[in-house]
Order: sequence, then structure tokens, then C-alpha cells
Amino acid sequence: MTRLIDPSLDKLSMLMSQMGDMAMECVSLAVDSYLEGKGTGGRVRELSKEITKKYFEVEDLTFDMFLKYQPVADDFRLIRSSTEISYAFSRFGRYAFDITQVRHLFGDISECKNDSLFEAAKKVKHMIREAVLSFAELDIRKAVKIQEDEAFIDRMYKERLPKLIESKNTKCALAEALLLRYLERIGDHAVFMSDAINYIVTGKHRPTQEQISSHISKN
Amino acid sequence: MATIITPKPASSTIVGSPINIPQKKYKMITENVNVYYGNFLAVKNISIKFPEKSVTALIGPSGCGKTTFLRCLNRMHDMTKNARVEGKVMIDDIDLYDKSIDPIYHRRKVGMVFQKPNPFPTMSIYDNVIAGVRLNGVRDRRILDEIVEDSLKMAYLWDEVKDDLKKPAIELSGGQQQRLCIARALAIQPEVLLMDEPASALDPIATQKIEETITELKKDYCIIIITHNMQQAVRVSDYTGFMYLGDLIEFRETKKLFTDPKNELTAKYVQGHFG
Amino acid sequence: MFKANVKNRLLVDKIMTGVVITCTLVAIIPLLWILGTLVYGGAGALSWEFFTEEPGAIGSGVPPAIGPAIQGTIIIIGLSSLIGVPIGIMSGIYLAEFGGSWFSKQIRFFTDVFMEFPSIVLGVFAFLAIVLIVGHFSIWAGAFALSLIMFPIVARATEEALKMVPYSVREAGTALGLRKWIVTLRIIIPAAKKAILTGILLAVSRISGETAPLIMTVLGSSQFFGGFDAPIDALPLRIWRFSLQPYDEARLSGWGAALVLVLIILAIHIAVRYWFMNRRKSMGMSPRLSKVGV
Repeated sequence: MTRLIDPSLDKLSMLMSQMGDMAMECVSLAVDSYLEGKGTGGRVRELSKEITKKYFEVEDLTFDMFLKYQPVADDFRLIRSSTEISYAFSRFGRYAFDITQVRHLFGDISECKNDSLFEAAKKVKHMIREAVLSFAELDIRKAVKIQEDEAFIDRMYKERLPKLIESKNTKCALAEALLLRYLERIGDHAVFMSDAINYIVTGKHRPTQEQISSHISKN
Repeated sequence: MATIITPKPASSTIVGSPINIPQKKYKMITENVNVYYGNFLAVKNISIKFPEKSVTALIGPSGCGKTTFLRCLNRMHDMTKNARVEGKVMIDDIDLYDKSIDPIYHRRKVGMVFQKPNPFPTMSIYDNVIAGVRLNGVRDRRILDEIVEDSLKMAYLWDEVKDDLKKPAIELSGGQQQRLCIARALAIQPEVLLMDEPASALDPIATQKIEETITELKKDYCIIIITHNMQQAVRVSDYTGFMYLGDLIEFRETKKLFTDPKNELTAKYVQGHFG
Repeated sequence: MFKANVKNRLLVDKIMTGVVITCTLVAIIPLLWILGTLVYGGAGALSWEFFTEEPGAIGSGVPPAIGPAIQGTIIIIGLSSLIGVPIGIMSGIYLAEFGGSWFSKQIRFFTDVFMEFPSIVLGVFAFLAIVLIVGHFSIWAGAFALSLIMFPIVARATEEALKMVPYSVREAGTALGLRKWIVTLRIIIPAAKKAILTGILLAVSRISGETAPLIMTVLGSSQFFGGFDAPIDALPLRIWRFSLQPYDEARLSGWGAALVLVLIILAIHIAVRYWFMNRRKSMGMSPRLSKVGV
């Protein structure tokens, strides 16, 4: 039996999966543009704008559903989390765009490459993919990995920043600082996303800082 | 393109009560209540602890036994020939079904408001409110006046009728009649208030007023309310019990039951997959 | 095709309406005719003396008065009601509130049969049970016979009246912790008052005109009330006696008495209706919608 709310839920589902795909593509392109020096700025900007547009659509849709249907239980948690997750997607788009702007502003930065940045960037690409898939399949096991990756990026961010002060190459130092910043923020939002997904499935809000740290220190 | 799958709750086991709510006293406790209509078991082994000064909602599809169970709580089934009740219904350590007590005396501890407003047809507003009190022997006019005013104020009807208490009760509108019935039930100073879909026969504005009244009353009374309207249960109640085919399937704090039901059947029902 | 049907149906409608009105007139016309005849035949006998004096010797040229008859009728009706109404109401309450058992089903059946008993049979029974045993005719015997007629009418009317009160009212009373007899007495019966009174009225009207039982029990007399143990006159008896007399003035009195009897019954009905109308106004029995929403 189709309930009144079902068509709206389907529409939400479609919008979210579109946003997810676009976010994945967006971040991948941005990171690649930095790592491999490709000029993907234009495409990334396009995608980012699209994502933002869809974000507003999702906002409208979710509040409309609250107004009309007063959803409860699974529906309620799904819709509530969708607002947070779609915001995360819009942030991914934004930061992806910011990353391409680094290259745009600074020009050629191929000499600034280093291994740790490489690794961080790859991890971020991977994180986004995991987050989107985790949402699509409502698989909360991926959440643990996402949190580990985010912790890694956090650590790297905290380690590298002080070192950058001593760097001889101002351009590279600044570029790297900006990039680390953006990567760290993307990581944060990926974790917010996995918390929201966890809420959909288990009904519990984000685990505390202690729980995360204790989990990570075990591994 | 990945599509989103709707989540399934983990368990399909029955998550019943009694749950223990810390720091809350219980006003009414039922233990293993079973109700038979002839040979048919309509209410199966229900044990619930109703906390004081709160609202508990009972929800469930038609025919699940909610009304039958509610009527156990003030021994209304004594009026029905075919009905047999087993188990205990305790208010403050006194079992209403104990053979050694006078059921009618103790029935006064539990007030009841019915689905369709039923003021006594030949009586005025005043007489209706104190019917339970006066017909039980209280005669002092001053006391009666006071009780009428207090009860009508508690039911949020005083301001609308205070100028003409001698008006026949059936001249009031539906919503006013229902609040009159609430006042009448409160006049005998019960400790528990039972409400069987109190707003289902009323228009939306009357319903809103009834809900506001309930929200005020719960500061002093243990209220148990049956409702078909899930949004009403969410708005008004602190605890909710979901019943299905005579069983109590789940009993938890309202917000938790409606945002994260533990039982699959509960989740299906509250989301409207069957009714 | 549809239009043709409509024409047909309208026609049938008009015909049926006509038939119904005609039948009603056919039923009413004899009634009006009787009233007219009564007025025509009996108006001439009416006078103050006619109402208040004893009949006296017949054949004096003056229409014999019916003073004792009027008095007797009123006394007999009163006494019979005193006996028959309370018992009838009690039975009605029993049947309505405690019905459902095998015993009450038998009672109800018995009451229904009793209602159809020919009144002369009841008169004979009263004759055997009281008059023969006591040795003389009396008001008691008459009142007893008439109360037997009243009792089933009042009982059934009370039962139906109580059943008309919705079950939800009893539930409300019970939920307040009131005992059953209080709910019945103080809440249900007041709610059914009107219908019960109507039933009593019907019973009173019925016995006002009963003649046969009175023949066997009060005999009739030409004097005013002489004690409960003595015979007494009653309008139906008087009418019957007068109509058998060869004298013209006696027969005129007969018409007059009949007119008076009918007027008395009419007066009772009107008085009760009027009383109810007034009660209705002061109680505002018809529900009105309140202008201010809830």
C-alpha cells in the first residue's frame, strides 16, 4: 500500500543519490587537479553549483514533508538525517571548489608535492566514496573506517602545520596549509555524515569523543 | 547510481513492560491482566506500570483490545455480562479486583471520559458536574459550589459557562460537552483519569482545547488516554504503549517509541503501513 | 427514457400522497362525527346543577344530574392510579434494568398477554376475589379491577421509556462510582420522565371509559361518596344506565354525561401537554448550537 509520504520519500532518495554521485566526482576531480596538475576548475565549479542547488531543493522537500506528514520512526530519522547529509554534500562541493582555486591562484605548484599530502588526499577521496556508499546502503560498519581516516587526517594536520612555519618555500607552505585545511574540513563533514547515517539505523546520536578515541587507540 | 534503502529495525521480539523509570513513582500498576469475552481472550497478559503525574497513551489498530483493557482499570466490565477479568489492577497497593474490598467505593478513584460526550440529559451544567458528588451524599451547598467551580476551572470550561450554570447541559457544543464530562469526572477527585479517544468526536479546535486541558491536568493526575491519532499521542503523552491483537507489543517513552521503535510491528504501525 | 420515468414517478408520488391523506381523513371523520353528535346531543343537558347534584327521581322532567358520577369517576381513577401506577413503574424498571434473564422474559410475556385481557374478565375476577368475599360492592373492588388494567400498560411504557435512554448515560453514571439503583432512580428515570408520564396518561385515559369491570365491582349508586367500602357511581355506569331509560330527559342526561366524560379525558391530555410544553421552554430541551465555537 502506497502511503501519502512515499512519493516524497522517493524524490528525496533520488535527490540524495544524485548529490552523492556529484560530490564524489567533485572531490575526486579537485584532488586530482592538485595531485596531477589537471585543470578541472571549470567542471568542479559547475558541479559545486549543482550540488548547492540540490541542497536547497532537499531542504524544501524535507520541511515540506515534516509539515504535511508528521513522519515518525524510520521515516523521521531518515528525513532528519537527510538534512544533515545534504549539507555535508554541499560542503564537499564547496571545499572541492576551494581546492581547485588554490591551483588557480598559485599557478603551477607541482614542486610542492609531498608524500604526506598525497596520502591525505588519497584518503579523502576514499573517505568520500565510503561515506556516500555507506549512506546508499545504510551500512554503518563503514563508519568506523571513516572515523579512523578522519583521525589520521586530523593528526597529519596538527603535525604538519607547525612544520610549515619553518618552511623555506612560502608559496608551497601556504598552498599546503590551505589544502590541509580543506582536507581536514572535508574529513570532519564526512564524519558528521556517518554520524547521521548511524542515527538513521540505530536511532542513537553521535558517539562521544571518548568512545571514538578509545576505539581508535584499540586499533 | 545508488538508491537509498529504507532501514529495518534490528529485532522483531516483543519489547514489553514493565519498564522501570527511575525517580518516578507509579500510580497504577497492572499485573497479568487477561480479559475474556466468553471464550475469546481479548486482552492477553498485560502488565504495565503507569507513572504518576504523566500521560500514557495506548495506541494500536482497531480491535486490538485497547478499550477492553482500559475498561478493566475502573472495573467497567462489571456492567457487561459476558466479560471476565483476571489479574491485578493496583492503585497505591490496593488491588481493585480484590474480593474483600468494595469495588464501587474504589471505582471513585478512577475517573473516565468517553469517546462521545455523554452529559446527563435532563440536568443542568451545575447538576452534571456535581452529579457524582451529590448523588453520593454530599449536601452542603457551599461545598458543592466550590467543587463545581474548581472542576470547571480545571477542565477549562469555567469562563465559558460561569454566567449560566443552570443552562441545560445538552445545549453546549460538542467540545464544551466533552470538557463538561471531564469536569464531572474530576469532581469526584479521582487519582487516575482514563480517557477513551476523548477528542475523536470533536472538531480540530475543540480537539486542541482538550489537548491543552490534558497537558495542564497531567501536572496533578495520572492520565491514561487511548487515541487513534498518532500525532496526538506524540503531542500529549509522555509514555506510549502499542497494542496489537490483545498483546502489548511495546511500551516506552513516547519520543523514543516514535523516533526509534524497537519492534518491527510498532515501526510498521506508526508509519502507517497498516491501521 | 429517463425523463419518461420521472413523469411516471411524480404521478405515482401524487397519487400516493392523495391516498394517504384520504385514509387519514377516513380515520378522523368518524371521530369528529362522534364529537359533533355528542355536543349536539348533550349540550342541552349541561348546567351547574347538572354537574353538582344527585340525579334524584327520574321522570320529573328535568334531566337527572350526574354529580355523584363525576365525583365517583375522579375518585376511582385516582385510587386505581395509586395502586396501578407505582406497581407498573416498578415492574417496568425491573424489566428494563434487570432484564435479560429467563425470569424477566416470562414476566414480559405475561405482561403483554395481560394487556390484551378483556376487561370484563378482569371485572369478574375482581368480583370473585373481593366482592364475593367481602360481601358487598365497593370502591376498593373497582379500583382493584381498574388497576389490573392499568398495570401492564404502565409497565410496558416505563420499560420502553427507560430503554430509550442511551446506554452511554448508564455508563457515565457507573463510571462516577454510583450504585446501580441510584443511577436508575436519580439519572435514568428523570431522563425518561416524559415518556413514562405519557404511558401513565394512556393508562388513565383507558380506564376512564371502562364500564364492564365497574358493573361487577362498584355497582353504581345515586348518592355521593359514602365511604370506600360502599358502592359509588361512575360516569360510564351512569351513561349506560341513562341510555336504557325510556324517559327522554334521562337520555338527554346520558348524552350530557358522555360529553362530560370525553371532555374530562380531553382536559387531562391537554393539561399534560401544556405542562410539558412549558417545561420544555424553561428547560430548553431542544439542543441549539452555540455561536462561540467550542
